[in-house]
Amino acid sequence: MNNRLVITGISVLSSIGVNKDEFWTNLTNGASGIKDITLFDASKYNSKKAGEITDFDAKEYLGKRGIRHIDRTSLLVSSAAKLAMEDANITHETYGADELGIVIGSTYGSIDSISSFDLEGLKEGPTFVNPMEFPNTVLNAPASRVSIFCNATGLNSTISTGTASGLDAIIYASDFLRLGRGKAVVAGGVHGLTPDVFWGAYRSGILSGSRNGDIEISAPFDKRRNGFVIGEAAALLVIERLEDALERNTKIYAEIKGYGCTFNPDKVSRDHIDTTQGARCISIAMKDAGINAEDISYISACANSSITGDIMEARIIKDYFGDNADKIPVSAIKSMTGECLDASGSLQCVAGVLAINNGIIPPTINYQEKDEECNLDCVPNNSRESKVNNVLINSFSDTGNISAVIISKYS
Amino acid sequence: MDKRIVITGLGVISPIGNQKNLFWEALISGTSGVSEVTSFDTSPFKVHRGCTVKDFNYDDYTKNGSSRQIGKGSQFAVAAAKLAIEDSNIGLNNIDPERAGVSIGTTAGEIQILEKVNHIRHENGEDSVDPDLFLMHPCVNMPSNISIEFGFKGPSTIIPTACAAGNYAIGYACDLIKLGRADIMLAGGSDPFSKVAFVGFSRLNAIAPDICQPFDKNRKGLLVGEGAGMLVLESLKGALARNANIYAEILGYGLSCDGYHITIPHPEGNGVTSAMKKALINAKIRPEDVQYISAHGTGTVANDKAETISIKKVFGEHAKNLAISSIKSMLGHTMGAASAIEAIACALAIKEGVVPPTINYETKDPECDLDFVPNVKREMQVDIAMNNAYAFGGNNSSLILKKFTG
Repeated sequence: MNNRLVITGISVLSSIGVNKDEFWTNLTNGASGIKDITLFDASKYNSKKAGEITDFDAKEYLGKRGIRHIDRTSLLVSSAAKLAMEDANITHETYGADELGIVIGSTYGSIDSISSFDLEGLKEGPTFVNPMEFPNTVLNAPASRVSIFCNATGLNSTISTGTASGLDAIIYASDFLRLGRGKAVVAGGVHGLTPDVFWGAYRSGILSGSRNGDIEISAPFDKRRNGFVIGEAAALLVIERLEDALERNTKIYAEIKGYGCTFNPDKVSRDHIDTTQGARCISIAMKDAGINAEDISYISACANSSITGDIMEARIIKDYFGDNADKIPVSAIKSMTGECLDASGSLQCVAGVLAINNGIIPPTINYQEKDEECNLDCVPNNSRESKVNNVLINSFSDTGNISAVIISKYS
Repeated sequence: MDKRIVITGLGVISPIGNQKNLFWEALISGTSGVSEVTSFDTSPFKVHRGCTVKDFNYDDYTKNGSSRQIGKGSQFAVAAAKLAIEDSNIGLNNIDPERAGVSIGTTAGEIQILEKVNHIRHENGEDSVDPDLFLMHPCVNMPSNISIEFGFKGPSTIIPTACAAGNYAIGYACDLIKLGRADIMLAGGSDPFSKVAFVGFSRLNAIAPDICQPFDKNRKGLLVGEGAGMLVLESLKGALARNANIYAEILGYGLSCDGYHITIPHPEGNGVTSAMKKALINAKIRPEDVQYISAHGTGTVANDKAETISIKKVFGEHAKNLAISSIKSMLGHTMGAASAIEAIACALAIKEGVVPPTINYETKDPECDLDFVPNVKREMQVDIAMNNAYAFGGNNSSLILKKFTG
């Protein structure tokens, strides 16, 4: 990599903590954020749980004014952006507002707002819809709200590659900085829990507990898994070029060492799991980072408790790492937070950064029954102290999008 | 990083023609794509018109036929991509699928599927909705469907930065090639006709009752449109090696954000100015080098005024020498596809030496006092063109294209 990129700020709003310290304590204690949904009535469904954030009040972060018409996803991500910038000790004046960019992964973030707007028109008549709600219907609304709250006028972009979006936003931001198009970017993903996305996922049969008789549990790599539990989160990084971070003498959490993206055009099913593009993606990221398979100290898995997806990830890891695969700790934090969709990749990044800085690997909780098809060291149930130098973060999405990022200890 | 990027294939599905040549003929002869909206009942509204794609049959474009159910936005995008690949004469078999990717922009993704979901549940209740529809509507389906159609295994991404999305997607595709992350990219934008957009813009009184008149003193708003534009982008080296027809080179781009208001453009055009300046710097050219601007020119009072002010700020005295046109006068606002289709128009203007007109231009507006190529195309050499696109959320973009001269 020509321009070394570093992470100088992190933020997280999640069901297991609304600041980085609380998040980290709960994550390493194996606390679960999954509970009965309170944001809307899910009692009529077989699935009733989510990784809901119950102690978030947008006013604390954004003030009281002008937030009434802004949707939950936008409020979460705008608040997280403020926290990340504070953590990085950066403002729009540090490099000038024109050098500060925002890149947000959000695919599902505006769906509820679009449907509410559309349904209001169907119920009340289209000329009665509230035009104040119209801006929430564009897919880039969450990112745009962030720019307004943070006075960031340099770049504003949204990436919508499904569950890979959070990681892809970080990759997009990194490309942008590598090419010298800006000085600092706040990047990551967000997913606010909404009835519409929950309902859609439920009706598609991909949620845990959606079939009668199934337990509702987020148990990645465990034999009992039967689908994912949806979660909500906003997780963001502040990324800068190393030389700029050094010049302003700021704290450096970690380095973004390399990344890759591939796409699998073949439909994945229980009987047809192709690992070629996943392994190739990891290989591209490793080459970009200039490290070898044995240098990876920890893999933050995207495994979300889905039957096929978890097997696919385990096979990809084995395919790429070969004999080393058994020696590398691989944990799935979605066991605690649920599948935070657009936010999941960046949430894994925040966890990876904290693992590097604290020398602790978070566990995969709810792990009881071994599945021979996911036979990895998944750091079952208890966190583990370990020196962490290089973390591989995976996002392999159902839509075919495959991304991997390597975050490393800064030296 | 100094890899040069060129455009070698163009594909378009639009309200005025569904293939490059038909589109271009219609464009330079000043054809209007406006018609009555028929896909839903417009009687509750004061406005009834829009710009829809005509004579589109997806089966004509795909090897998979209708075996795989996909949304209209994906259908437009796949069709435009297919046309672009054919136009590039590269031959799918000659493309290394692992080095080929997709970067597309949209405003609303597969909005028609989501509208269908809402319609069904409103009429017949939640349980009547076919679960497959939930998996079809997230916008990530658009790039995935293109990658699947052509078997591409390189980066596949979507940037939904509303009405500027096409430019963002094209810019990122160039960066991916520059950084060596792909060799060939299909880049552009797509949007199917959105009832939600029609309802929203009509509630904001931003839709014109009859025709779209960008920069005219009596302009009354935009017209919601639909379509897709896709470009084949590759490195100059690759294009030369296969002796490709090069439409134009992409010299650079600039992005900015107003950070001001979610729907209202900055009154002084601060963000817009910044995007144009960044693009000029990135392309390493002077303002005087530009001959043609494909304006965002939506036809709303606020946009066209702010854009004119901004062009004057950036180009100074040279602003009055520029030929500026808004093809939205003909196509309506094709949303996320708009700037991709406009980039295609720029590439063809450069290649053919003809600039498309701004039609429906009747009365000069003292606040928009530049040369908007009124009503009739103009034959002129275009060495460098700038493609402007702005969006809800204050997202601004300018892309710079140059005649390829070796």
